Amino acid sequence: MQALIQLTIANIRTFVRDRAALFWTLAFPLIFILMFGSIFTGGGAVPQTYAWADLDASAASAQLRSAFAAVPDVELKNESEAAGVKEMRDGKVRGVLVVPKGYGEAIAAASRATLPPVAITVYVDPTQQGASAQTVGLAQAILGQVNLAVTGRGPAVITATKAVQTRQFSYISYLVPSILGMALMQLGIFSAIPLVADREKLILKRLSATPLKRWQLVGSNVLMRLLIAIVQTVIIVSVGSAAFHVEVSGSYLLIGALVILGSMSFIALGYVIASFARTEDAANGMTSIIQFPMMFLSGTFFPIDGMPAILKVVAHILPLTYLSDALRQVMVGGTPLAPLATCFAVLGIFLVGCFAISAKFFRWT
Amino acid sequence: MATGEAAIRVRNLRKSYGETRAVDGISFEVRTGEVFGLLGPNGAGKTTTVEILEGLRRADSGEALVLGVDTSRYPEVLKPRIGVALQTASLYPKLTVEELLALFRSFYGTRGRSPAELIERFDLVEKRKAQTRELSGGQRQRLAVALALVNDPELIFLDEPTTGLDPAARRALWELVLDLKRQGRTILLTTHYLEEAEVLCDRLAIMDHGRILEAGTTNELVDRHFKERAVRFTAIDSLGDERLRAIEGVVSLAHEDGEVVLYTRDVPATIGGVLDAAEALAVEPQNLIIRRPTLEDVFLVLTGRALRD
Repeated sequence: MQALIQLTIANIRTFVRDRAALFWTLAFPLIFILMFGSIFTGGGAVPQTYAWADLDASAASAQLRSAFAAVPDVELKNESEAAGVKEMRDGKVRGVLVVPKGYGEAIAAASRATLPPVAITVYVDPTQQGASAQTVGLAQAILGQVNLAVTGRGPAVITATKAVQTRQFSYISYLVPSILGMALMQLGIFSAIPLVADREKLILKRLSATPLKRWQLVGSNVLMRLLIAIVQTVIIVSVGSAAFHVEVSGSYLLIGALVILGSMSFIALGYVIASFARTEDAANGMTSIIQFPMMFLSGTFFPIDGMPAILKVVAHILPLTYLSDALRQVMVGGTPLAPLATCFAVLGIFLVGCFAISAKFFRWT
Repeated sequence: MATGEAAIRVRNLRKSYGETRAVDGISFEVRTGEVFGLLGPNGAGKTTTVEILEGLRRADSGEALVLGVDTSRYPEVLKPRIGVALQTASLYPKLTVEELLALFRSFYGTRGRSPAELIERFDLVEKRKAQTRELSGGQRQRLAVALALVNDPELIFLDEPTTGLDPAARRALWELVLDLKRQGRTILLTTHYLEEAEVLCDRLAIMDHGRILEAGTTNELVDRHFKERAVRFTAIDSLGDERLRAIEGVVSLAHEDGEVVLYTRDVPATIGGVLDAAEALAVEPQNLIIRRPTLEDVFLVLTGRALRD
């Protein structure tokens, strides 16, 4: 146990003292997030566009529209209710506000007598906690002013929320989990390089002349990388949240499970590379050949739906596709475990396969 | 284990890589408390032999008992009891001297020496916080030997401990090995430096092409081969080996760096013969000297070539 802990500490020290490794694992993913994030959100305050469905078409509803439009950063698009909901599903508007028929009459009547309040329907996506809270808050604030102006005797108008499952998220909420997946993939397969270097420098041979067990050696490498993976996850999720308001809607436990399973799968792939690469240069070449296509073909930057058919087939073979997809589902989609079963299964099978291959072909000297 | 008992017993050991017989049926013994040298050129099979004894490789056949343990079958029993310095220093480049010693110490449970003590003894105090990639060749090699001692081993393997070192660093390392020898440690070392073997080893075996050609103390080896003296001069092209062998007193002949070495029982007659032969060709022998045979000469006679790195 002492040997395992000491060797893990030694691995962490070696890793932290390697500036290139630090850059690729910690800085590189952040650069991607910040770069793509600022390009695609245009910088500055995020405009809040809502679909505006006015079924009443009265002077009062026009006045209500102006009240909403006067809020800084809020933009309104006139739509039918159905078209607005469709646009929201496609991620083009943040929410839909529906003014019911009879709104003007109800407001006018409310100043004379106490009537049941009229409801403005607000469509939100409850899985997008930040955005939906903001939308509901905005509507309540404006309607509060209306109520105050109309009557002192209880609310004349209230909000009624309806849930819409948005299919497409904002680009940045797509990107953050993708970059996390990519970072875990790189961290894993890069394990090949120091491993091959240690073998080339006969460090592995020197270790095998001590009572150190091979499982301790492998275990310490895996432990070190899992710890770094957790650090990476915390950094990427925090930056996504702090800089781009990408809030985690799913379970942290599930994210943790995915991070660990995903990391181990790609570490195992690193061992497969180390089984076939004789020199450090060869290991470098093989990791590049694997990581770059994997990065681009697994839907890291753009959804695979838009890819040509052949590339789509390739994407469905790559394990990173499943890791990123699962991370996306859990982080921003809030989907429970069951639909993720396939992702977990694919990663699990991939892990076992890579483990079996490296167990057969890996050479210590 | 009492002094004089065999720390290592090797019988008929064989190991091939494809067609190449790296170790071709060797037998030898190393006694407890002695420094034993395997001397031979690169590719003689020394490292393969040592790695079998360390439990890093399996022999194809034959017996290797180290500290009474069959190394091919029970390497795990042996490893805690031996110390190893490989041919290249094999150090994690980004760990410091004291981190590396503490790391290796942790592999051996409670057994062993404190890193601080080893740092002191191997003259690494100033470098204890330096990463190993910043060390000089001599410092790296000293650290490699220090690492071989962290578990206070019963037997130490030093594979080519001074290869690539400058003469000063080599002598510094010799002092450390002689220090270990004075403490009565059992050491098996390999080298292709004859001087190193003469200085450090109680006994040695000369190895070439996977075989042990001869074994014994330096004096035994020299005496066994040479009642003769060596007459040496710069080779003369027109004076062939056959003509030289025919000179009176000459027992054998070797070439070494463009020089001819004649081993003779009768120095005056041989020198006379060389001068006569040269005169007949109207040339004058250059750099003609007479010397007492050394281990180098033993090696020359046994392998027919000089030992160089």
